[in-house]
Amino acid sequence: MSEIERRALMKGAALSALAFSVGGAQVLLSPRQAHAQNIPYRTLSPEQVEILEALGETLVPGAAAAGISHFVDQQLSIPPEEALLEARILNIRSPYANFYRAALGAIDRASYANNDNRAFAKISANERRDFVDQMRQNKVAGWQGPPGPFVYLVMRSDAVDVVYGTMDGYAALGVPYMAHIEPVKRW
Amino acid sequence: MATLEKVDVVIVGAGASGSLFASVLAKAGKKVVLLESGPDWQMSDLISSDFWGRRVKPAGIPFLLEGKNPYGYAYQAGWGVGGAALHYFANFPRYLPNDFKVKSEHNRGLDWPVSYADLAPYYDKVAQEIGVSGDAKAEEIWRPKGEPYPMPPMKTFRNGQVWLKGLESAGIRMVPAAVGMNSTEFKGRPACLYDGWCHVGCPIGALANPVVTYLADARKAGAEVRALSTVTRVLTNDAGNKVTGVEYYDARREKQVQEARVVILAAWSAQNPRLMMISATDKHPKGLANSSGLLGKYMMAHYASGTWALFDEDVEPHMGTIGAQYMSYDRYDKTSKKGAFGSTYIVAGTALKTSDLGGFANARIDLFGQPLADFMQRAKRGITRLTAFGEEMPNVENRIELADGKDEFGMPLARIVHSFDQDAVALWNANFEEGLAIAKATGAKEFWSARGNQPTIHLFGGTIMGSGAGDSVTDSYGQTHEIPNLWVAGPGLFPTEGASNPTYTIFAVSQRGAEQLVSKWGTVAG
Repeated sequence: MSEIERRALMKGAALSALAFSVGGAQVLLSPRQAHAQNIPYRTLSPEQVEILEALGETLVPGAAAAGISHFVDQQLSIPPEEALLEARILNIRSPYANFYRAALGAIDRASYANNDNRAFAKISANERRDFVDQMRQNKVAGWQGPPGPFVYLVMRSDAVDVVYGTMDGYAALGVPYMAHIEPVKRW
Repeated sequence: MATLEKVDVVIVGAGASGSLFASVLAKAGKKVVLLESGPDWQMSDLISSDFWGRRVKPAGIPFLLEGKNPYGYAYQAGWGVGGAALHYFANFPRYLPNDFKVKSEHNRGLDWPVSYADLAPYYDKVAQEIGVSGDAKAEEIWRPKGEPYPMPPMKTFRNGQVWLKGLESAGIRMVPAAVGMNSTEFKGRPACLYDGWCHVGCPIGALANPVVTYLADARKAGAEVRALSTVTRVLTNDAGNKVTGVEYYDARREKQVQEARVVILAAWSAQNPRLMMISATDKHPKGLANSSGLLGKYMMAHYASGTWALFDEDVEPHMGTIGAQYMSYDRYDKTSKKGAFGSTYIVAGTALKTSDLGGFANARIDLFGQPLADFMQRAKRGITRLTAFGEEMPNVENRIELADGKDEFGMPLARIVHSFDQDAVALWNANFEEGLAIAKATGAKEFWSARGNQPTIHLFGGTIMGSGAGDSVTDSYGQTHEIPNLWVAGPGLFPTEGASNPTYTIFAVSQRGAEQLVSKWGTVAG
């Protein structure tokens, strides 16, 4: 059997996918599609979504449109043993929402304290970049929350996941994906 | 709570060692039940994606991670049939003769109660059983002669080949890496496609994960696997000199007792001692088989000194396997690095994906924003990594102990306390220095060390083997010194950890132990 034939044989297995709620029904969407369709959030508050999108875009350009906030929000709404978040392999204790709420809260509190009483989502792109650079080095003044470098690692990983970790992300970067079994929704 | 019909053997954990024991025992005609806390994964579940691959790892571990170098548990652990070996890299280096007598030769660490010569036939047997690709003859510059591997070496790619010039300049000889993967079709399992998704599980069976090797054999021979079944206690008789079975919660979360003539704990280095401590009785107040006080002690981890390099040429970073293409024991002497102590094992050539902990987006963890995007563009064709794994010596302070708090089944949590000593830190640093010198000699455009917190890789100890109940928990076969029908399997038995990947040695030690159990069955079974 040729390699191509064998790859084809392994495709099409029964897979699960990310389920989002639309009008009371469950639909399977990629986070990018969920973001584009403005699907309601399940777990994160509007303020937390704003912080996460601003942070994600600062960490990896394109993360907001790639659906970082919908990805994280949907993942926090499902049982931890089903979760696909990198938090799972970084030994964060479940429920993972506790970590995300603490981390996003710490970012916003520190932003208010250090940026003339402005939320993280409201400061300029340059200010956000400087903030994140300080956070990754554990140098944000008055930081109160999970260690800044660890928050940086987790959130950067989520942003990398949605931008570079998907089949579409590989295609955009120009790296052959070469799946044995493809994820659904090219995701 | 129901008490189920007594079986010959109950095995806790359906990973590498548990599956091997199940295969050998079931083929010997024993009635075997494996209790696995995770799902019964099928090959079709192994989706080629770093997202989906996280599902085969545990979520919400029952351990508190403490010490100067807390153990990175979840990334390396397994959850479900196949255990960690469902997503392992399948590097199959052997331990060398010097790994088994560190105490005798250096007055450091511990000795094993067996030698390389004792294990060598089992390395050969495992290779023939599940398939190893490599060049055994080439390895004999470092180890005694053995049987040839059943398959030739795997293909190599530019992401591995570009390191050879620099390694040669450092006087480091590289040979084809021995891997538990098929370079050719083997026993009906296909040859590898070199697509680099090994670390999320190989769904075609080209990689020798237990689901397609030992566990498949065990099932064919009649072994029963009960998935989503979490063992909460090992049960003993009133006299405390025999185990009688285990208590567990089944997939419906109903409590069951499975009686058995022999209990084998194969739930990885951390869970085995935790379960033995939780199962304490008045006859075993410090935990089962723990008169030595060494249960949960001497936990060890490997660490890696990675060197990244960027080349102008296209080295096809995405091609190959996650396992190594080339390996070397030329820095394996325990004193090969001045000012440090311990072996170093060097590998070159690995497929790189974009994301997850091992992805090349993490090659420059300091970068974010547009500089990261620019880096990804530069790296996608030219990046590659060299890795030197280091050994730490057993330290009694590195331990597992019960902690306050309970898991979802009401079992006490445990803590893993782990810190590297100065020798390990010195060796880690020395290996970074050598990695940079090698990279410079390759002519790479850019190169840098993958520095961060000192990583913890693989997990050993906690139920070490030794010569008697005064210095260890088990004998060299995994039989506990104090309870003849309680056995332990896996890397928890290792008194020292060497520096090379452990699974081949786990299989060899388990094969030897399982054959011993069969041969001694009449005097062991309760």
